[in-house]
Amino acid sequence: MYQYDTLDKEFLADRAAEFKEQVQRRLAGEITEDQFKALRLRNGLYLQLHAYMLRVAIPYGSLNAVQLRKLADIGRRYDKGYGHFTTRTNLQFHWIKLRETPAILEELATVDLHAIQTSGNCIRNVTSDPYAGATAEEIDDPRVWSEAIRQWSMLHPEFSHLPRKFKFAVTASPKDRTAARVHDIGLVVRRARDGTMGFEVIVGGGMGRTPYVGPTIREFLPANRLFSYLDAVLRVYNRHGRRDNSYKARIKILVAALGADEFRRQVEEEWEKVGPGADMPDTEIARIRAAFAPKAFDTLVNRSEAFETAKAADPAFARFARNNLKPHKRPGYTIVEISLKGIGDTPGDATSDQMDVVADLGERYGQNDIRVTHEQNLVLPHVKLDDAPAVFAALAAAGLATPNINLITDIIACPGLDYCALANARAIPIAQDIAHRFADQDRAELVGELKIKISGCINACGHHHVGHIGILGVDKKGEEFYQLTLGGSGAEDAEVGKMLGPALPADRVTDAIDTIVEVYLRERAEGERFLDTFRRTGVAPFKEAVYAEAH
Amino acid sequence: MKALTANRLDDGEVVFWKAGQWVERFADAELFSDDPTGEAAEGQGKSQPNTVIDVYLIDLIESEGLWAPLSYRERIRALGPPNHPGHGKQAEGGAAIEALMHATGASRSTGRVNLIKRK
Repeated sequence: MYQYDTLDKEFLADRAAEFKEQVQRRLAGEITEDQFKALRLRNGLYLQLHAYMLRVAIPYGSLNAVQLRKLADIGRRYDKGYGHFTTRTNLQFHWIKLRETPAILEELATVDLHAIQTSGNCIRNVTSDPYAGATAEEIDDPRVWSEAIRQWSMLHPEFSHLPRKFKFAVTASPKDRTAARVHDIGLVVRRARDGTMGFEVIVGGGMGRTPYVGPTIREFLPANRLFSYLDAVLRVYNRHGRRDNSYKARIKILVAALGADEFRRQVEEEWEKVGPGADMPDTEIARIRAAFAPKAFDTLVNRSEAFETAKAADPAFARFARNNLKPHKRPGYTIVEISLKGIGDTPGDATSDQMDVVADLGERYGQNDIRVTHEQNLVLPHVKLDDAPAVFAALAAAGLATPNINLITDIIACPGLDYCALANARAIPIAQDIAHRFADQDRAELVGELKIKISGCINACGHHHVGHIGILGVDKKGEEFYQLTLGGSGAEDAEVGKMLGPALPADRVTDAIDTIVEVYLRERAEGERFLDTFRRTGVAPFKEAVYAEAH
Repeated sequence: MKALTANRLDDGEVVFWKAGQWVERFADAELFSDDPTGEAAEGQGKSQPNTVIDVYLIDLIESEGLWAPLSYRERIRALGPPNHPGHGKQAEGGAAIEALMHATGASRSTGRVNLIKRK
């Protein structure tokens, strides 16, 4: 992974020291809350319902064991022994004290972690493919470009006060594990017929109050012209984005208002002015690329006797292998997905002890490489098939071997009203209730790929718009109700879900999901996922079944 | 009936007004049966910006013979996160906590709405 140099490390230490002084001044009453709030948010510190929340950046979801252990340690010493992995592949601590935050930032800085640009109207953490460097599907390693974007965007003076927050996703595989088409900018690595590498540039996707699948504004941007083009996109946005209305300030609103063609025209015009002088030199890209050089993999055969024997002997391991292990580009290796969706657990939560277990496994069996997915799970991208049974056993002992990746119980849920000051309704108990209903793994596997995503408010941190089944918590005269949408997708076939009907009270949501699943099982044709069936049948049979009682 | 709430500046803890002091338990909060008394306390609370932030009045209802916040958002603040019953004030248990847990009222607190509008 990319290593910070001395200057980077000094900067992080200085930044922590600066915040320490700011906190001292606030506690001493030398600056007001209004003055201080902007400073604390620049360090990822929010005030939520019960305490402060610190959002730690995990750049493109990539961690090493030392960093994950430090997060575990902070969770244990400054929080209540756990942390919450988010849909932006960050980690949130929910029980933070303001007076202790400077010490936490100092400790994070010792392992090259921080909370900069995890809040505010700036360029936020880049989402990338958690299988980067491990999947045979990829054209290039998207971490190279994600890291380059991180460096370009970090404290970028021109783009630190945008009309609104700004989120990138970078992927290089046909199978999109980043939700690229619902980001402010989605970059998909492409290769031209002559072998030249470049990007499909998608601008103006997003969720929240006004969801859009972003249009492609450039089919192929040569890779060496990326940064001048990004400058041009951000400049057009910075100039014309709506600063008068925060609900209309995201770039998606601008792109939709201008139309993709006019937005493209303005970007191209600006790009001419920016010129290639703004591009990152090839030598710098090469330097970054070297940090992600392919691992030294052992030469192995495809078939692992130890793996096959364990599968035959242990049905639980066989099930785990079926659902949580993904193909690796190298013979004899596998990608291990670690579900943070234990039945009845809080989606995305990991205890400090669990983080330590994953760190140990990453170090011992996984080339010291750990990833966070935007679906709130963890990944060990490089594990030998020979070692998979041992990894499974250790995960199982830590309560981390739930074999449900991409199944109906692998639910995204934002913290919702259990923690969040913005939420209108709880998301976590809905996820827990649905998980309990589908706890039977045989049934869950029978249903197959089905992505449920739950948000506790219209800001859509739980990505409900792109859930195969989306659930949005709303406040109806002070009561928690839930609006269901069907047919959304955040993958390469991105689509915003369609509203099913009137919002349901909390105690009817799981029954409704059950009904929707039964309709799918009844209607599905051979080989169809839930999403495929829905796209074929439309909303009618589902709506009819869920609201039958009302007729 | 109303009570006055805020978050403590230095640790974010949910606190309630009681006769010029901020206390952690809702059960210890001072209750205001008329608007002028509550608004006077709110004014005093807001004059302590280096002790607390986001000061506002919450509406209450009766539950099991005790008073509870009308809005479930405020009950969650007074209790702790429902997903971790061992975290927050709910972990203490007892009749006052049980009454909060069993309360079923549902509405937004006018004080909170005003706070959002102010922002």
